[in-house]
Amino acid sequence: MKYCNHCKVHIRGNKQKCPLCRNILSDSGQDRNEVYPKIPPAYERHLLIRIMIFISIVSIVVSFVVYSIFPSDINWPMLVVFGLLSMWLSLTLVIRKRHHITKNIMYQVTVVSMLSVFWDWRTGWRGWSLDYVIPVVCITAIFVMYIMAKIMKLSIRDYITYLFLSALFGFIPVLFILFHWVNVIYPSMISVAGSIIFLSAILIFQGENIKAELNKRMHI
Amino acid sequence: MKQRKRVEWSRLDNASKIFPATASDKDTKVFRLVCELYEKVEPKVLQRALDDTVESFPLYKSVLRRGVFWYYFEISDLKPTVEIESLPVCAPIYMRDKRNLVFRVFYYNNRINLEIFHALSDGTGALLFFRTLVSNYLLLKYGEEFAYKGPKLDCDVSVSKKMDDSFDRYFDGKEDLNRKTKIKKGKHLRAYHIQGVRNDENRMQVIEGCMPVKALLDMAHQYNTTLTIFIASLFIYSIFSEMSANEKKVPVVLSVPINLRQFFSSATARNFFSTMNAGFSADKNTADLAEIIQNISKDFMESLTEERLVQQLNHFMSLEKKLFTRIVPLPLKDLFLRLANHMNDRGITAAISNIGQISMPSEFDGYIKLFSIFTSARRPQICMCSYKDNLVITFTSPFRETEIQRTFFEFLSSRGIEIEISTNIDNADRNE
Repeated sequence: MKYCNHCKVHIRGNKQKCPLCRNILSDSGQDRNEVYPKIPPAYERHLLIRIMIFISIVSIVVSFVVYSIFPSDINWPMLVVFGLLSMWLSLTLVIRKRHHITKNIMYQVTVVSMLSVFWDWRTGWRGWSLDYVIPVVCITAIFVMYIMAKIMKLSIRDYITYLFLSALFGFIPVLFILFHWVNVIYPSMISVAGSIIFLSAILIFQGENIKAELNKRMHI
Repeated sequence: MKQRKRVEWSRLDNASKIFPATASDKDTKVFRLVCELYEKVEPKVLQRALDDTVESFPLYKSVLRRGVFWYYFEISDLKPTVEIESLPVCAPIYMRDKRNLVFRVFYYNNRINLEIFHALSDGTGALLFFRTLVSNYLLLKYGEEFAYKGPKLDCDVSVSKKMDDSFDRYFDGKEDLNRKTKIKKGKHLRAYHIQGVRNDENRMQVIEGCMPVKALLDMAHQYNTTLTIFIASLFIYSIFSEMSANEKKVPVVLSVPINLRQFFSSATARNFFSTMNAGFSADKNTADLAEIIQNISKDFMESLTEERLVQQLNHFMSLEKKLFTRIVPLPLKDLFLRLANHMNDRGITAAISNIGQISMPSEFDGYIKLFSIFTSARRPQICMCSYKDNLVITFTSPFRETEIQRTFFEFLSSRGIEIEISTNIDNADRNE
């Protein structure tokens, strides 16, 4: 054990300096048994993200410059800005919810649906968001979630509420059909039909689990 | 169709609710219990001991999850694993959406380390688990040496007692309206805040001083006071001597957790504590230790009455029970709690926590060298505990500076107390 002559304390472990006064310690024998391990600094994980942020900023700046030199009818730099914003919104959620795959899928369904409506609206409302994107996203989400849950061997109670929720989401296109918001009816029909089948399966076979799960998650 | 598996879950107790909301990378709300043995720890045996121990503490198998209105513990079938210490001390445990246990067990050389997220338990509660773990380990490892007589821990109570929510049992949240004003008095005073340069990656700096408990007790008795008050006062004294003349106008306030088990009988291994503040403001530029002790003793005397505690806890309980609080969605609750925590922090300079004497069956005397406890902290904090003749006082700090710690330990060493310092500061890497 080493000794600090200034602080008059013994220092355990193989230290060169006194942790209290930072003076060099007198070398009185080695202490082989370290009390604490040396923990190397954590590996820098966020480099890729930094590069992507940088590229995003550069492309926005460049697109505005190009636009002001070669003006055109469409304000396309704004599309670049919104495109990047949409990407980042989606990506942030993917990263933040990375530990929770089913929640992640739910967030993606919501964000992608809302963004598609927004884009459709900003680019002259041709109806593709309601015709195709939302129904397809909803029905895909149900299947992806079910398959992921099976692959990752999630226990039923971990994914059942989310599966239930996404089946409810998939039911929403019934409004599109009823109010004649869509030109192409089939994707919505498939989504609604799929949802009804899933919902009834969940309620019939897992009704108890759903109830218990809701009780737990919603307790006040 | 039959339900395959019942979903077992439980609510967080009153004190636990603050921790998931306020835990961050800067303050992880994780604390560590250490047991240093005379021999190297054998991981395989420790693993078996841990497997046995966790069976009698079912709540420790929980995962902390977010509901719509509250957090809750969900019993999982995850198995805790013993690992060689590979993370900075008190590294984050609770990560949102990540389904992991809220404690970890590390070993390194002679030390067994248990790190726990504070929402699961307080120091005394965790100690119940830890003592069982250490005792199981020693029994498995050196079993034949105790063959004639199986040492038994004094904390052998039923599983349901260990998992009891004692807040709920003792406090109904009915407030005595006449007294309401009394608690609030002097709450929003701003206390001195210690400044410093943060360690890289928000790591905790740990300086642990091990010294003979008897010498310290004698010194405290010379000042006619108890060990906790003496150490708290010496802490304030050390902080005070590093303050500039201008800063000395603001009070130095310590936050002190109170173990409620000593007032309300409970053997829970969950949270059951409250906190009190003890402060000192100088009217001149120099402070005298005896004078600080006098002030601190007064604060301790006033705060440590059963009446006062009941009043305070019923107040917290009533906040939890209000319909409005209950129906506010969790993200908003988190926000409010963080805000309240921030307001509360303004009035606190540092914290000191004394876990007290740790007892183990006397058969283990030759195997255990010391126990130690420390916690993640936003500002320098002392945690202390004693085992037999070894008193361990540990400073944790998010800052690189060590002046307060130096003043503190120098005060003791210059009065002839033998101190052994262990630290995780790696000064070989530091360019100073």
